[in-house]
Amino acid sequence: MSAEDVPDRFDPWPPGVPPQVPVPGYPNTWTYTPSQPLIRRVPTRTEATGPIRLDRKLLCGEANLAERTPGRFAIGQLIHLSGRILDEDGRPVGGAVVELWQANAAGRYANPIDQRAAPLDPDFLGHGRVRTDEDGRYAFLTIKPGAYPVPVQDTWWRPPHLHFSVLGPSSLSRLVTQMYFRGDPLNALDRILNSIPDEAARERLIARDLPPAEVGDRWLGFTHDIVLRGRRATPHTP
Amino acid sequence: MTTQDRMSRRMPTSEHTIGPFFPRSLFGAGDSDLTIVAPDASPTRRGEPILLRGRVTREGGVPCLNMILEAWQADADGRFDHPLDPARHMADPDFLGWGRAWTDEEGEFAFRTVMPGGYDDPVGRRAPHVNIAAMGAGLMRRVLTTVYFPDHAADHAADPVLALVPAARRARLVARPEGMADGLRVFRFDIRLRGTAEEETPFFDA
Ligand SMILES: [Fe+2]
Repeated sequence: MSAEDVPDRFDPWPPGVPPQVPVPGYPNTWTYTPSQPLIRRVPTRTEATGPIRLDRKLLCGEANLAERTPGRFAIGQLIHLSGRILDEDGRPVGGAVVELWQANAAGRYANPIDQRAAPLDPDFLGHGRVRTDEDGRYAFLTIKPGAYPVPVQDTWWRPPHLHFSVLGPSSLSRLVTQMYFRGDPLNALDRILNSIPDEAARERLIARDLPPAEVGDRWLGFTHDIVLRGRRATPHTP
Repeated sequence: MTTQDRMSRRMPTSEHTIGPFFPRSLFGAGDSDLTIVAPDASPTRRGEPILLRGRVTREGGVPCLNMILEAWQADADGRFDHPLDPARHMADPDFLGWGRAWTDEEGEFAFRTVMPGGYDDPVGRRAPHVNIAAMGAGLMRRVLTTVYFPDHAADHAADPVLALVPAARRARLVARPEGMADGLRVFRFDIRLRGTAEEETPFFDA
């Protein structure tokens, strides 16, 4: 691996995969989204690198959102979610930091910015952070979140979704995304999910249901893999 | 893993907005300090510690609160503690080079770091700089910009990335000196997300 092969590690985003911005029907995006064309550059060392031992800075190991006190579970449908963080070659990204945050079963965030009149659940921890293992694997025990309305004039309801933030080995592979649940009628109406033009790309944001018989009688199970940009992912460095 | 797995190219997962509710609980003490590798670590002793401050605004100059900013840069000698840096073995082991901050009601953010060093890249000599990614509600994709410093005006002319920025907009990427605080030089880098060509901060393709 050398500095010379930096540029060919990163292809441009494939068409239809990134959201199309600004979003009609989401007024905020019309005052935040840059109006000037983005400046194209060839990736250099500074963009291809990133902090590889970020778990020292961001303490990891919070994987149970649904059981803050042993034996006292959050209100809602318990779910076990696991998956792998991969690069575009399908290689596991070990040592990645995976952050998760979400609304509770009533669709309310434990964040002072969320002032909606829906109940908070003291037994639900709305966030977690783990580090992927050598196989790029992460796992969380949580609950299925509720839907919530977006406070804009021509409102819509966000379907149940989980927010992910993944910090991989390079600045260009940094990813913030969301995960959805199959079959929710709100998915088709969500202006954020549908800002992704490519149908197959939207489909990849939907978790896969595991057969309940395989998962057992304690919770429902889902898997969800996340693919970071870039090929030949940096080998896991302890 | 089979050879088949290795050969099959996967499409990257789409980016989405970070939204308004990124939890404060995911911030720890010292997250906005690039000079420490862990919350309980001592700051690096290499290089000049500096403060990098700025304000994020949107169309009309309205401050953006609760924007999340992430910074990434080389150490004081222009090295990255990363396998892609051929001089990694000489990188400062006590410098992380990464930090995360959020903006207050005035749209203000602050990082503590060290003045970065320049380095030779295959595409040309990179002037000392800090990469900034900004995320927030209203931004469906993160925006990427780069902070340069007035100390290195002579290096700016040769920087292959700055050269891609229309000449009239380059000055927007150079931080302004803003006096001293806690014995450190302070630099200001304001980010205008959306405005006219003169107002708007230059952003790079992701
Ligand atoms: Fe959300």
